[in-house]
This record gives sequence, C-alpha cells and structure tokens, in this order.
Amino acid sequence: MELEAVVHPKANLVMVRGRIDHGSSMAFSELLHPHLENCKKGAPPLVLDFAGVDYVSSAGLRALMIATRFAKNQGGRLGIAEFQPLVREVFGISRFDLVIPCFDTLEAALGELA
Amino acid sequence: MLRHLRTLLVTPLRAHRGRPAALLALLAACTALALIEYTPLTLLQNALFDRMQRLSPRDRSEMPALIVAIDEKSLAALGQWPWPRQTLARLVETIGTGDPLAIGLDMIFPEPDRLGSASLKRLYPQLGRIPLADPDARLAAALAATPSVLGISANKTLLHGNRSALKVTPVISRGGDAGAIANPFAGALASLPALEAAARGQALLNAQEDPALQDPERGVLRRVPLMASVAGLPVAALGPEMLRVALDAPAVEADIRNGRITRVGVDAYRLPTQADGKLILHFGPLRADRIFSAVDVLEGRIPPENFQHRFVLLGFTATGLQDRVVTPLGEMIPGVDVHAQVLESLLSGAALTRPLWLRLAEGALLITLGLGLIAAVPRLPPNFAVKLGLASAILLFLTGYAAFHLGRLLFDSASLVTLLNPVFFILIGNTLVASDQQRRLAEQALQASREAAARVAGELDAARRIQMGLLPDPAQLFAGETRFQVAAYLEAAREVGGDYFDCFMLAPGYLCLCIGDVSGKGLPASLFMAMSKSVASALLRNHPDDLAQALEEVDAALSRDNREMLFVTSFIAVVNVETGMMDYVCAGHDAPWLLRGQTIQRIRVDQIGGPPLCACEGFPYRHAQLTLEPGDRLLLTTDGVTEASNGQAWFGNERLERLLQENTQGDTAAALVEKVKDAVRNFEAGAPPADDLTLLCLEWRGPEARLPSPQTSTST
Repeated sequence: MELEAVVHPKANLVMVRGRIDHGSSMAFSELLHPHLENCKKGAPPLVLDFAGVDYVSSAGLRALMIATRFAKNQGGRLGIAEFQPLVREVFGISRFDLVIPCFDTLEAALGELA
Repeated sequence: MLRHLRTLLVTPLRAHRGRPAALLALLAACTALALIEYTPLTLLQNALFDRMQRLSPRDRSEMPALIVAIDEKSLAALGQWPWPRQTLARLVETIGTGDPLAIGLDMIFPEPDRLGSASLKRLYPQLGRIPLADPDARLAAALAATPSVLGISANKTLLHGNRSALKVTPVISRGGDAGAIANPFAGALASLPALEAAARGQALLNAQEDPALQDPERGVLRRVPLMASVAGLPVAALGPEMLRVALDAPAVEADIRNGRITRVGVDAYRLPTQADGKLILHFGPLRADRIFSAVDVLEGRIPPENFQHRFVLLGFTATGLQDRVVTPLGEMIPGVDVHAQVLESLLSGAALTRPLWLRLAEGALLITLGLGLIAAVPRLPPNFAVKLGLASAILLFLTGYAAFHLGRLLFDSASLVTLLNPVFFILIGNTLVASDQQRRLAEQALQASREAAARVAGELDAARRIQMGLLPDPAQLFAGETRFQVAAYLEAAREVGGDYFDCFMLAPGYLCLCIGDVSGKGLPASLFMAMSKSVASALLRNHPDDLAQALEEVDAALSRDNREMLFVTSFIAVVNVETGMMDYVCAGHDAPWLLRGQTIQRIRVDQIGGPPLCACEGFPYRHAQLTLEPGDRLLLTTDGVTEASNGQAWFGNERLERLLQENTQGDTAAALVEKVKDAVRNFEAGAPPADDLTLLCLEWRGPEARLPSPQTSTST
C-alpha cells in the first residue's frame, strides 16, 4: 500500500496503490493524514485516485469514512475517482458511495468538486 | 561478612566490564616481562626454545672437527687415567702426522708426571745423576711440534693451585673492553708452565658453571662461552682459539657495542653472542662417526690421513671420567663434543640469537595485544572473543616457530601468551557474566510475556464464550415449528469477531431475521457487535410495524457514542410466517440470496439500500417488500463467504451462485448452511480464514404447514 501526491492545478491529487485491508488501513490513515490536514475550506479539493487500488476491506472503508468526516469538519472537499470494477462493486454494495463522493473518472471528480 | 568480603574482591574486577582490572594485569605482565630472569617464566621460555631445537636440530653432516676419545676401550688397553705423558705425546704426534688444522686438548696437566725424573729420583735416590727421559718434556716437544691448544679451567675464586698469570693470547676487543664485560673469573687452573710454553695456544674449557648454581637451566647446557674474563684478561674458549691457531691469526676478536659483546670469532668466522660473550649454541645430535678411539689411533688402526685439514679434539668419552653434559635435545653428550659443535658453528656461522631488539619487540607486542584485547573483547560476543583470543595465541606461537626457522631467532611466544592470559580471562569473564545476566533477563521477559499471553488467551476464550452465548440457537428456539425452519452458522476469524445474526419472533406470526457485520475484526469489532445486536433487537421490538423507522433509530442510537467511528452493515427482514409477506431493510449489506425452485436470485436492494449504520448519520432508510412462496429459501451471508481466499482467488459470488444452483435443490435450511460452510472451508484448504463467516438461512414452508400445537394455532 502506498500513496503518491501528484501536482495538479485544480486539486490535491493523491494516487493510491495496493490493498487497503485490515493490515494496511492504519498505514493508509497515517499516510493520508498530511493531505487531509490541507483539505479545508477554501483549499483545492482532495481527490484520491483509486486506479491502483485492488481491494478495500471494511477496515479500509472505515478509514475512508473517518477521512471524510475529518475533511467535512474542516470544510474541505474529498472525493474518490477511477475505480477498479471490484472495488467499485464494494462501494456499491456497501452504499459507501452515499458516504463519500465517488466518481468514475478524474475529470468527473474535478468537474464536481473543483 | 563473607558476602562483604566477596563484594570487596569482585567489584573492582567487574567495574567497567573489567577493563581497569585487565589494564592492571597488563601492567603486571609488562613488569614480569622486563624482569623475566627473576621469574619462573624462564622455565617456560627454556622449555619452548628446547622444543624448537628438537623440532629442528642443527645439521651435522659436515665433519670439520673430529674427536679422538679417551674411551673405555682405550682405558682397557692402555691402563687407568692419567696415562703416562709419553703415551699422550705419542698420541699427539700420531695425530700431528696427519697434518690437522689444530689439535685441542680438552684436558689440563697442572702437576708433573708421576714418572718424571724428579719424582722417580725421590723414590729411588740411587738413580743419582743418571739422566732420565722426562715425560713432561716429551709431551712439551710433541705439543711444540703440532698446532696444539691446551685447556685451562677458570674459577670464580682463587682455589689452591689456581693462577691469575696465564700464558694466553688475549682476545682483541673492538669498540670496548671485553675483559671488563665478559663473564669474570678470579683465576684458572692451567698446565705446567713448560707445557703452556710449548703449546701453540691455550684456551678456556669451561663450558658450564656449576649446574646446581644455574637453577633456571636445570642442568641443561644451552649457553656456551666463546670467551670469558680471567683475572681481567679476556680469554677465548677452545673452539675460537683452535680456529685462531688454524688460521694463524694474531688473536680472537670480540665486537662490542653499547657495552655489550655482540660477536666473537676469528676473521670472517664470527658468531653473535649474548652480552657476556656466551653463545646460544644450536645443538645437533651426537654423531658417533666422528669419534675415534685413542688406542685405535695409537696402534695405527686409524690412518692419520683422516685428520688432514681437520680440527682434532682430544677428550674423554669414558663414563668413569665424568665429563658429560645434557643438551636441549635431551641427549647426554661428552663435553668434548660441545667444543666440536662450537667449532662447527663457527665455521658455518650457525647460532641462535635473542638480541635486545627482539626483547623490546616482545614488550611492544605484549602492550599492543594487551590493549587490543582490552579494547575489543568487551565489545565482541563471547564466542567470537574466545576465537579471537585463541587465534592470537596460535598466531604468537606460529610467529615464534617462524622466527626460529627463518632467522634462528628465539622469540618467546610462550611467555607472551602466559602473560596475556590473565588480561584475556578478566575481560572474557566479565563478558560472560554480562551475557549470562542478559540471557536471564531475556528468559524472565519471555516467561512474563508467556504468562501475559496465557492470561489474554484465557480472557479471549471467556469473551468468545460470552459472544457465542449472545447468539440464539434457532434449532432450539423454533423447536417444533413446522411453518419454517431457520439455520445459522457463525465462525469468527479470530477468537472473537464482528459478525452477528439474530432471529426471534417480533410479534406472534412475525419472524425477524437480522444479520450484521461490524467493520474490522477481532476484539474491537466484537464489542461493537455485542452492542449493535442488543440495540437492534431492542429497538426493533419498539417498532414492530415500521422497519425503516426502527433502523433509523438503531442508526441514531449506535452513532451516539461511537468515537472510534466503527460502522456496521446490516440486513433486517420481518416475515409474516402465515402469508410469506416479507418486509426488509438494508444498510450497506450484501443482498441476500433467494432460492425459489430452480431459480437463484438476489433480493433487490438497489432502490432502498442505504449506507452502513453509523456511516452516514441521519440517513433516511427505506424499506421494501416481497412475497415468499412456499418452499422458498432465503440465504443471508457476510463477506466471510465471498472473500474467503485460497491464496490465489476469492470464493466470490459466482462460485456461491453455482454451488447454490447445482447442489442445494430441495435441501432444508440446516443442510444448505452446512453445505455452504463446507464448500467455503474446503475452498480455503486449511488456510486461516481471512474474515468472520456468517450464514443465516430461512426456509419458509408456507401456510399449509400448520403447527399441530393448539397454542400456536390460536396465535395465528
């Protein structure tokens, strides 16, 4: 599991790679935290690019839920884009797409959030 | 008291990993090395050097010096010693005809012959003035006619008959006064002046001082003087003097540097010596082939040509005459052979040396190695330190042997190793004590962690029993029920888990089924699971007729004190067991399976499904309805089924659907649950389950299957 920040004019774009499961969700939260701190009112939105994410477990969903609340408390905007089909299915079944704004493409995310 | 004493003794040894104590031991070692002559270490040193000589004795295949021996055979043939001087004169003359380089007599003639004219005329006055042949004169003539060298025996005190005035050719000193440096003697026992005058040279015979006085030598002859100082006069020993006579050189020479004699010899034939002019003789084994019996020489059995261009030594080998010494090789050899060996060494330049610089180098090595050990050993693991110590000892011994073989240098590795031992053992002892303490601490820690683990395991086991006790047993709960059957299975991935199920009669004729999955697994999830189950079952009973309302209240109640932000997916259904009407809500949970006859379908949740409970507070959940047909089976699962893994793939929905399609036609709820569970576990093939696994199955048999019991009939 790794994170990589990408410079983008309209958003704080973070590429996520690997599995976010019971073992790696803590590490994911810690890596994400510095980006979340910048996600506040008036700042560009934080967009997580999930193209490289193979699997998200319930522990991973919880980490994302906590991140969303953190961003919301700061008045920031957070979204996820570019899902692999299996991961999109997890978000669909658990209806986490109601908890976190989910977008099929990066353009859609930027169009909505930025 | 005893403990106090022990502390007093041990504490300084243990301070700073033993380094100060080791430093002190090193200081003592340096002192001992500097004053080695006064310590028992000399015994060890001699033993080591003797061992080296035995391993590689001097080669004696060359035969520059021969011995004519007064042996048992000669005594038997010619009578007791001393022989008449005429006999000796004939012997010297016979040898002389062979044209030897020099003849050395390892004997002294201080008194006139008992058959000389003076003593005969004292015994027989009637002989009067008849001229008698004088045996001493006869010997003197023989000595004068040959390149002969007579011996003198020096003594520390002037004994009776000893003289301080001698007719010797003094050793010439270069760079100092050898007479003041060499081993001093007060006087010497020498031959009659007439014989002294006749001989070509006169030399020191003492190879050895009184053995009893030379305790460290233990009676073994190791050092042979090439010269000594008799009454202040530097006198050469028999070997160098014979060489002088053979070369017709003016004198034996001694090189002196810094008040120490360094070399003694004649012309180019010089040997390095100790400071007092002694040679550390490299011994070779006794060789019988260069010893001739005196009687054989006298009676012509040994042709004199044998002696041509050789040094000849005349001496005793008969046991009764008591001139024998013990060599480092462990042999007892006649004293005359020592002179022969000195001559051989002079000619070949072979000598063992232990120069001052070597002793200084040993001191420097002792300090370097000692400090090295003090620096290194406390930092190394003990087994490595022991190997290091062993390796340095072996290296020292190898250096010693190499120095002996390559440079004939006597390097005292034995003393160095002995002196380094205390330093090493103080250090390694401390290291071992320290590592032993660490090991004990580690064992205690391990024991403590085992106990803690056992305690936790015990508590987890209790928690597991409590958690499993929270779950209903459908078989027992609905015993005797004919309208439907409920079966369930739950197994946590760890001791406890975050899955739960519930089934109870919400109202008469209304069966409530719940399944839930708390985010995460293990102990944290299990606590939330217990709360979710009780909150849900309580609030559902409060709103038996509005499932969506009940769910919203459950969501609100669980969200109220949820600082850890856990969430729980849930599917809840209420079934009218008379009509088959089913009311259901879904909070982020995977859609249940409906098995109806030959068809398998998922219950539709896309229109009413909401997020998991606690994930999105205040979400307006909605409910949906469907009608079950008699024989329908409803299967609720958690992701422990679909996400069960065999290491390469997930069990997945497709596999589950195929299983349900092909293998479960007509199964009861209990059989269905059993089959799915077995399929999942077989798929995992013994691998530990990744997540909690829960199965809940309702088989609705329809209104026809009425209960026979009157009590239940009235309730419907």
